[in-house]
Amino acid sequence: MIATLRYEFLMQIRRPVMWIVYGLTFVVLVATMWPGYRTLDLGLGDGHDPKAAMLASARLTMSLLAIVYGCLLADRLIRDRRLGIATILEAAPCSAAGRLVGKYLGVCAATAVPIALVFFGRAVVYTFTEGKVETLAWSLAVFATVILPGLIFLGALALAGPLLMPPLPFRVLFVAYWFWGNLIPADMMPTLSHTIFAATGDYAAYGLFDRARPDAVVYGWPDAALNFLRPAATPAVAVLWMGVMVALAAAILLLTRLHAARSES
Amino acid sequence: MRIRLSQLTKTYKGGVHALKGIDLDVPTGMYGLLGSNGAGKTTLMRILAGLLRPTSGTVLLGGHDVTTKEGRLAVQRTLGYLPQDLGVYPDLTARQFLDYIALLKGIDERSARRRRIGELLEVVALTEHADRKLKGYSGGMLRRVGIAQALLNDPRLLIVDEPTTGLDPEERIRFRTLLSRLAGERTVLLSTHIVEDVAQTCRYLAVLAKGRLVFQGDVGALVAAAHRQVWTVTTSGAAPSTGRIVAALPHGSGMRYRVVAPVPPDPSARPAEPTLEDGYLALMEAAAPV
Ligand SMILES: Nc1ncnc2c1ncn2[C@@H]1O[C@H](COP(=O)(O)OP(=O)(O)OP(=O)(O)O)[C@@H](O)[C@H]1O
Ligand SMILES: [Mg+2]
Repeated sequence: MIATLRYEFLMQIRRPVMWIVYGLTFVVLVATMWPGYRTLDLGLGDGHDPKAAMLASARLTMSLLAIVYGCLLADRLIRDRRLGIATILEAAPCSAAGRLVGKYLGVCAATAVPIALVFFGRAVVYTFTEGKVETLAWSLAVFATVILPGLIFLGALALAGPLLMPPLPFRVLFVAYWFWGNLIPADMMPTLSHTIFAATGDYAAYGLFDRARPDAVVYGWPDAALNFLRPAATPAVAVLWMGVMVALAAAILLLTRLHAARSES
Repeated sequence: MRIRLSQLTKTYKGGVHALKGIDLDVPTGMYGLLGSNGAGKTTLMRILAGLLRPTSGTVLLGGHDVTTKEGRLAVQRTLGYLPQDLGVYPDLTARQFLDYIALLKGIDERSARRRRIGELLEVVALTEHADRKLKGYSGGMLRRVGIAQALLNDPRLLIVDEPTTGLDPEERIRFRTLLSRLAGERTVLLSTHIVEDVAQTCRYLAVLAKGRLVFQGDVGALVAAAHRQVWTVTTSGAAPSTGRIVAALPHGSGMRYRVVAPVPPDPSARPAEPTLEDGYLALMEAAAPV
């Protein structure tokens, strides 16, 4: 498992295309989110509060970079078979489940590195421009609770999805899923957005950091469908959300393993 | 490592009967597995390597049953496998790729790994290219990386699936010589449809045809299968219509044919000395007449 983790990380982090796509998307991010990305104020006038600013930075960063994250992971699992290398790996005396977990951790970690760089880079810049050292502590807390659980779930989803369809249509669907299930307002159409299954980290932001919403509602939309999936954001629900993300990832990996075991014979 | 198969069958999901009741006993040393396309060679080798579950029958390798989890791990620890459709990670160098496989094979100690990889790169003559990315390697070089990865754990059983296909003649000869040098104490199971490769390296062999074992024994016995079945026919008229023509050469104003057939294909046919290839063809003729 450690060996696979190490080499999968290495191979992904050295992919030029990863850095290029992230780089371009970052430019798009800054351009479209200007001046929000400069002030880190999403309309509440709290851009000078490090905690609120880091939450805003997390939301802006993830809004576009999560798409890149998913798309860059899409070919990683099926690649072993495509390259014809699966046979050699399977003939090695180690467990297939261990290799799957190693691959998941390795490639997801590598693909998350640019997101971490962007997020923490912004935090460092903020620390200097605002002269507030506590920003760094807030940025760590926000990354671990708001961004990371989402990446854990999205990583498993993006690795396993292409077992059901080729990577290209999967990527298109993934982008559509990201907007539909995470970004659009809950009352626009029936959606997973802002539910306990959304990967944006809003529950952690609202539940753990009592971030306020622009319309001052703690959570939930009065008339949206699926509102039973949108409990009010409390610290307990925020922790539940993290558990849901991890559990979904584990379930997807388990299904992936079963799928592989079935097609082996 | 001794291989014993009894009543081994494999039926794929779509209903393809790839192996039909194979009984086979493979001793140590170099062993050839001959068969035409689709005969079931790869299927058999994948079962031996623990990658595929047989539909029925028993598979014992050095006393271990590969169909159990413990047996499979025990076999895989002393197994080297060079698959037919070998792939590599294009962005790794040969040294990195071998390092990865060595880790998977459980060679955890860094210095041991480094030493072993160094040795094997020498054996397959790739030392000077070892730090280049694999995407720049030729087919022959990749095949040598493939054999190096198979040898990392100093296997007692080496399974190589059609390793010489697609290699130029020099590379092919170098490769099969390397294989027979490696045999020694090990069991090397070499599958191929190139009779010459077996003729030059193996004393014992088995022949698969359409999922059935149609021959097992030594090379001499297979040659003997074509005894009184190889003929030369020299004619300026039409080619012989019965039997399998294995060679046709211009001869004077006509042609000289070499024919494998159970009976003389022509009144003028003269018996000829059989080769291993003739034996193989005679066997194929008996198994499935054209
Ligand atoms: N995964 C599979 N699913 C269904 N049928 C298969 C599968 N793999 C192989 N077969 C079939 O099983 C038979 C034996 O195939 P196998 O690959 O073992 O032959 P082979 O002797 O290795 O042939 P070749 O010389 O072409 O490599 C063929 O008819 C093939 O079509
Ligand atoms: Mg084959």
